[in-house]
Amino acid sequence: MAYRPNPLIAQLAGELEPVRPLRMRHGLAVVAVAIVLTIAAVALWQGLWSGPAKGHAAAIFFVANGLIALVGLASARTVVRMAAPRVGVRQDGARWLLAALAILPVTALLSAALKGAVGSYGHAADGLTCFIAGTASGVGVAAALIFWLRRGAPVAPNVAGFYTGVAAGALGSFAHGLSCPFDTIGHLGIWHVAPVAASAALGRLAVPVLIRW
Amino acid sequence: MIADEPTFARLMTASQGGDRRAYTVLLTEAQFWLERYFRRRVPPAQIDDLVQDVLLSIHAKRATWDETRAFLPWLAAIARYRWVDHLRRVYRSSESELGDQDAADDNGEDAVLARMSLDRLFVQLTPAQCSAIELVKIKGLSVTEAAIQAGQSESLIKVNIHRGLRKLSALVEEAD
Repeated sequence: MAYRPNPLIAQLAGELEPVRPLRMRHGLAVVAVAIVLTIAAVALWQGLWSGPAKGHAAAIFFVANGLIALVGLASARTVVRMAAPRVGVRQDGARWLLAALAILPVTALLSAALKGAVGSYGHAADGLTCFIAGTASGVGVAAALIFWLRRGAPVAPNVAGFYTGVAAGALGSFAHGLSCPFDTIGHLGIWHVAPVAASAALGRLAVPVLIRW
Repeated sequence: MIADEPTFARLMTASQGGDRRAYTVLLTEAQFWLERYFRRRVPPAQIDDLVQDVLLSIHAKRATWDETRAFLPWLAAIARYRWVDHLRRVYRSSESELGDQDAADDNGEDAVLARMSLDRLFVQLTPAQCSAIELVKIKGLSVTEAAIQAGQSESLIKVNIHRGLRKLSALVEEAD
């Protein structure tokens, strides 16, 4: 191939400064700090529920919060990885975990329908509080992930925005969930999963414009 | 001959450390690689601009390459991202006919390049989306002309372009 001098290359080479490569572990550390700060803020503001430590929490408390946390961590890892692009990467793991999370609201609704009690999720005021608090608690994680994506080079901003929302909603809901004493499938399956859906939609809409480059 | 993966990786590692000579060679080799990469899916008159765009992106985002990973998949991801951007921007141009020079060189296309090629993105689209994007965004036909040639209504052409570009954008990293 014939060599044609390109003035742009000379200019870019002239401007070259050493850079510190973006490491995935640094991104994960940023997210970990955001999670710890969020849990600390929830503990200070609302106090953590002592039920699990005393053995008073139902098994579904651990199942639901564990699944929500896993979805959040997997999605956060996906987002951190997306800051350093490369062809040949799929997000299948995070997709399957999201599908697994959907079991919670489906079970909650089925259970209520079988008992003829769909309308009786009357603890709606508590539920709504959890929904709002869970969603709001995701702000720190969302900020950390957006910061990381802006340092990186995400090549699928819509997908990155969606998973940023999922991670923020799930980890925020998990953090808030540590303070919530309602340990029924009806409450956890609806009101603690709803922040994930809401944040995912919000992330998909709002984040791409913040990270496009 | 265009540099291979180990050469690119070595040059990029040196460039991240501030070695301007290595960086000049890296960008020059990347330019050759990109010209070849875009040849089949970008009209010749637009290749230079697109390659310059990608070189600027490489410069701005050079810290996002991790030396523990391969270089060419990183470069291809950035090239695809800029190409999808380019497809969104382009409009009809009198210089937009694709050249036929690529056919003669296809035998030399190496496996790595083929695996990450833009064609791999196109096979993920429906035939109608593929044809709408090729006719309007690559060959530069008007929506009306494309509708006649593809046998689709004008509104369907627009819908297929919109949905196709959205899908391409989501598939930049996934399709290999």
